[in-house]
Amino acid sequence: MAGIAASDADVVALLMRQHGEIRNLFDRVEGTAGDERRAAFRELVRLLAVHETAEEEVIRPFTRTSVPDGGKVADERLAEEREAKELLSRLDGMDADDPKFLPELRTLRLDVMRHARAEERYEFNHVRRHADKARLASMATALRAAEAVAPTRPHPGTESAAKNLTLGPVTALVDRTRDAVRKAMGKDG
Amino acid sequence: MGFNPLDHQGIPLDRQLRNWRELDVEPVDPDHGDPYTKCRIIAMNGIEVEAILFSHQFARHCPDPDVKRQLAQVRYIEQQQQKVVNWLLPGLASVLETTISYEQVAVDLTGWIARHEPDPYLKQAYEFGVLEDFDHLYRYANLYEMIEHRKAESIVDGLTEVMPGRPTKFHHRHPADNVREPYDRSTVNPLSRLHALTIMAAEQQTMNFYMNVGPQYMEPIARRLYQEIGLIEEEHVTHYESLVDPGESWWEQLVTHEYNECYLYHSFMEQEPDPKVKAVWELHLNMELEHLRIACDLMRRHDGREPREILAPELPNVLTFEENKQFVRGLLDTQMDLTTLGTGYVRDAHERFEKMQEQIHGGEEPPSEQVMAQHREMFGREYRVETEGEHPDAALRERS
Repeated sequence: MAGIAASDADVVALLMRQHGEIRNLFDRVEGTAGDERRAAFRELVRLLAVHETAEEEVIRPFTRTSVPDGGKVADERLAEEREAKELLSRLDGMDADDPKFLPELRTLRLDVMRHARAEERYEFNHVRRHADKARLASMATALRAAEAVAPTRPHPGTESAAKNLTLGPVTALVDRTRDAVRKAMGKDG
Repeated sequence: MGFNPLDHQGIPLDRQLRNWRELDVEPVDPDHGDPYTKCRIIAMNGIEVEAILFSHQFARHCPDPDVKRQLAQVRYIEQQQQKVVNWLLPGLASVLETTISYEQVAVDLTGWIARHEPDPYLKQAYEFGVLEDFDHLYRYANLYEMIEHRKAESIVDGLTEVMPGRPTKFHHRHPADNVREPYDRSTVNPLSRLHALTIMAAEQQTMNFYMNVGPQYMEPIARRLYQEIGLIEEEHVTHYESLVDPGESWWEQLVTHEYNECYLYHSFMEQEPDPKVKAVWELHLNMELEHLRIACDLMRRHDGREPREILAPELPNVLTFEENKQFVRGLLDTQMDLTTLGTGYVRDAHERFEKMQEQIHGGEEPPSEQVMAQHREMFGREYRVETEGEHPDAALRERS
């Protein structure tokens, strides 16, 4: 039966759930302080990097080639992402206990949410309309390969901020995610 | 001394029109702020929608062109009020998030009114309805976690519990059993008129909302759940509208509508923590005072009666969005197995109820049960928020 429970093979369902998880992480960053907040923020940065990279590698190319006027749709999403990335890198250089951190985070949260809703309303519906089941499934496989690069833990409260940093800088993470997605797409797509 | 809207002057009607800049309100933050601010917005939108629809029906039954023009002028302003109120909702919220807020309104608005309703028959009608809206909240919350991987507590914020009420599948009654007895307009407490109108308007808006947003979903289970609960909203509107005495004249009904709008804007203004939203409640209260004055003039002129005869001498206690957890738990403990028969309530599944159940379910589990089965399959558990302990009904505690 084509319920949501069976839709691990649907890239759109997976991406929408990641949008929810990103918001959950924003909640955690806002609701904690000190080392716990730093750890939650690292987690958020990691998930955002992986999620956006995977979308750029998996969804945007499909939108450009298979959706009518998809080039424009993809460009608009990229512009939103660029804005969010700039804000993210500003935040990344800031201490999480800085009094300016939370207001900036709030702005980032709204930007990220606006971007996510725009994807859900103006891009994902086209993807679902124009991709057949096999294509939705192969894109889902690629997305899961990206998730495996930097798995998010549901309860990272116990790990230290220093330990989180060992994942390396965001750019390296983006590179590794891209490699993983391309490898998966080559195999399945 | 309470607030008597008949003793205050509002903004003259010819100064109430707003331009595009004034209509372009800034929406509330989707993730921060008081959940009850969103509830007040949703409730007030329902009130304005009812004001507009009532005025249209009135105009269609009104042969006097002068009155038609007067109604049209006030109605245009009411449309602007609806635009401002409903546009306070953030575009960033998903339809399901707004739906969950709608059900929070249904639980906590009906709960408050049930607690404060002086007439026992009307009180029972509200108590009966609360347990159904409460169950809808639980079903939608589970759907929300499946689709968006967010928990409904991020919306209701622990103010309203999320757990089974009277199971949704048992809400499908024979339509004739949804019609209640009306109150008597000559003896009714003025507060009861306001309660009945408020709940009727809120449920009508919920019905309209589900009618229109349900098919926007792509997920089959979401489409089906909106159909099922949408049909129950039809039953709820039938249930609540039949409480109103149909012998009230159009003029009398118009006055009651305008008075109720004053009452609710005043109430919401008193409790609103968000200053920008509070400013809207205050401005609209000052507009409604003038709409009420106009309605009272029409009633005096065309009905030959004094509006004070049907209105309370001052506004009743502020209608408040607040927690109703213990009240709802009390109902869960005592009224779960009620259904309706004729205009009353019974505990046994009678023949007409059984027949309706058999026909509508067609031998299958309805969407409201399927959503739970799919959720359990996906997460290995249900989604609930039980802040005050386990479910009062032992049969409805979650088995793990």
